[in-house]
Amino acid sequence: MSWKTWSLKKSPWVFHVNTGACNNCDIEIVDCLTPKFDVERFGIKLVGSPRHADALLVTGGVTAQAAPRLREVYRQTPKPCVVFAVGACACDKGIFASGYHMVGPVDKIIREIDPDAIIAYVPGCPPKPEAIISGVVKALSIL
Amino acid sequence: MTREELTEKLKEIENKLIAIEQTVDNRIFLLCEKENSYAANKFLFEEVPLRFVIITGIDSDDCFEVLYHYAYDELGFVVTLKAFIRDRDNPSIESIAPFLPGAEWIEREIHDVLGIEFNNHPDMRRLILSDDWPEGVYPLRKDAKKPEVRPDGKPTRRSAAEMPTDRKVVPLCKPVLSVGPFHPLQEEMEYFQLTVDGEIVTDIDVRISYNHRGIEKISESLQFDQVPLLVSRICGICSASHPLAYVQAVEEIAGITLPERAMYVRTIIAELERIHSHILWAGLAGHFIGYDTVFMWAWKYREPVLDLLEEITGNRNNYGNLKVGGCREDIPNELIPKINKDLDGIEKKMNMLTGAVLDDPVLHSRLKDVGILKKEDAVKFAVTGPTARASGIAIDVRRDDPYAVYSDLDWNVITRPEGDVFAKAVVRFLETLEAIKIVKQAIKKMPDGPVAVEVKEIPAGEGCGHAEAPRGETFHYVRSDGGNRPVRHKMRAPSYVNVPSFRASCIGEYISDVAITLAAVDPCYSCTERMAVIEDNKVIHDWDALLGLSRGKTTQIKKDTGLPGIRMEDLEIG
Repeated sequence: MSWKTWSLKKSPWVFHVNTGACNNCDIEIVDCLTPKFDVERFGIKLVGSPRHADALLVTGGVTAQAAPRLREVYRQTPKPCVVFAVGACACDKGIFASGYHMVGPVDKIIREIDPDAIIAYVPGCPPKPEAIISGVVKALSIL
Repeated sequence: MTREELTEKLKEIENKLIAIEQTVDNRIFLLCEKENSYAANKFLFEEVPLRFVIITGIDSDDCFEVLYHYAYDELGFVVTLKAFIRDRDNPSIESIAPFLPGAEWIEREIHDVLGIEFNNHPDMRRLILSDDWPEGVYPLRKDAKKPEVRPDGKPTRRSAAEMPTDRKVVPLCKPVLSVGPFHPLQEEMEYFQLTVDGEIVTDIDVRISYNHRGIEKISESLQFDQVPLLVSRICGICSASHPLAYVQAVEEIAGITLPERAMYVRTIIAELERIHSHILWAGLAGHFIGYDTVFMWAWKYREPVLDLLEEITGNRNNYGNLKVGGCREDIPNELIPKINKDLDGIEKKMNMLTGAVLDDPVLHSRLKDVGILKKEDAVKFAVTGPTARASGIAIDVRRDDPYAVYSDLDWNVITRPEGDVFAKAVVRFLETLEAIKIVKQAIKKMPDGPVAVEVKEIPAGEGCGHAEAPRGETFHYVRSDGGNRPVRHKMRAPSYVNVPSFRASCIGEYISDVAITLAAVDPCYSCTERMAVIEDNKVIHDWDALLGLSRGKTTQIKKDTGLPGIRMEDLEIG
């Protein structure tokens, strides 16, 4: 493990990217920050700019309008970074797979510009806050 | 107006129509050619007057149909004007946006997805499709293909050079403030372009499409029974209201009568959803104005509601409990004592939170007279839900066109005349308390019995279903040809009409007030205070002491500023 990856594992700061989700995964992500789950205890913090982030929490199956923006956000995130595909849509477009405006899923869009990107998947529709936390912990432990 | 008077009134434009049809008791269809649609629409909106709901564009076999849906709330009627465009090669129709700004977006959308021109539309820019979507590909036409599979070998997507700027062109001398599409406070992607003069906002433009998933098209490929699961994912926070509106539309086509218990279960789930959604909004609104205590408290009190929903339906969100003909799962009777107990707890907390928020002088000075949506603007933009009710328009589908068991229960429609942000907050807080009241009554009165009837066939026909979602009226139009899937399914979420009303409420405001008026724009995300101050492992201030301190401070500010508080008992409910 390089020192860069090692440093990434402590108190990761995350940036939340909605690419066409139904809001459910998003409110569950915000839920993780509120008193019942309170992940800020572990130094996990939602930040306002991808340039400050160690990880991207991506929700939604990536619409045509969102795809170039997702690429740009990924480009702006300092590497190494972990991309979390949160929810069924982010993992494989979910129930919207046949939609004409969907160009995802998330891993396809990210790999177009970085084939070696680190991508973790948290399935569920929506994943419960416990699942999101567990996904983050698992991903950090295998880095 | 009585039913007879309304039908008489509608007959006044009979000479412009081909026919008047009545499918069920309170659904009227007026058929006309496209040449007469403008005059007929003007009559319906201005003379009758009806409330504009939405427009549905349909690609029929030999023509295009444009359906203008209106509601007459006093009687719970849905009046639909159906205009036929016979020329399939160059479809066009007169725009109604000049006198009805609420129709501006939907006409742009129909232009995007069906390629129908709207003559004299003030602003025909692309709305719903992405910047790189090729010209001349209309996804909702029946012969449409995804751009990737076009057979003629043309470039499938527009390149960056070909993309026209879909942004509103602003003279160079005017400063423009861009907000979005990713913003620390926005849950979803939206792009706001504020033209400002100093601190004052002089114009506002919104670009959507980031979240467009093409659900209406997907719905046409699913069976009637699968669609509720799709539409519950239109918006995760309205995941009971959308399926409710849809199943009601289908039940209207098939003439299904529901078992009584099913209607009670539907009511309970819909109201629990309203409680959690309103609390969620209260928290976020607090967050947007930098009042994170409200954010953390509200979301903490929301958790028991989600736990209840999980116990009843199996999921915290996306309940998936509704189906055509009833509900998928019953509420087990042994759960009822727990629901009652939890509701008591939630009610206590909500009373406390409502009192604390509505009595706070800082919130009064921050939110009162900010972002006022005047009643006449609210009518023009055809807004619904708390947005309309806070501007003095007493509409609520639950009362006006009763579904489930709302007509058997005792509850109030909350309205406020002011139209500012504070009024919207008051409406939502009091509605939460009303919703708790509704659930409690429904649980008490719920009879035993089955929760679903078997549905075999959906006959050919068309139906309009609407339901009161937490944000306003959700409207679904479904057309069936007798097969096993809808041939057209139009859905309108309440925000679709509420969002454009920002143009009326934001212009002339300060930039910092636009933030809370848009309720999504404020570049600050700070952490919450912890509950106990601990020094050398000794608790110096515990929870109660801190609460006392903060209450003392509020009282002090009130005394210092001389601002009057607002007490729960002073608020008129009606």
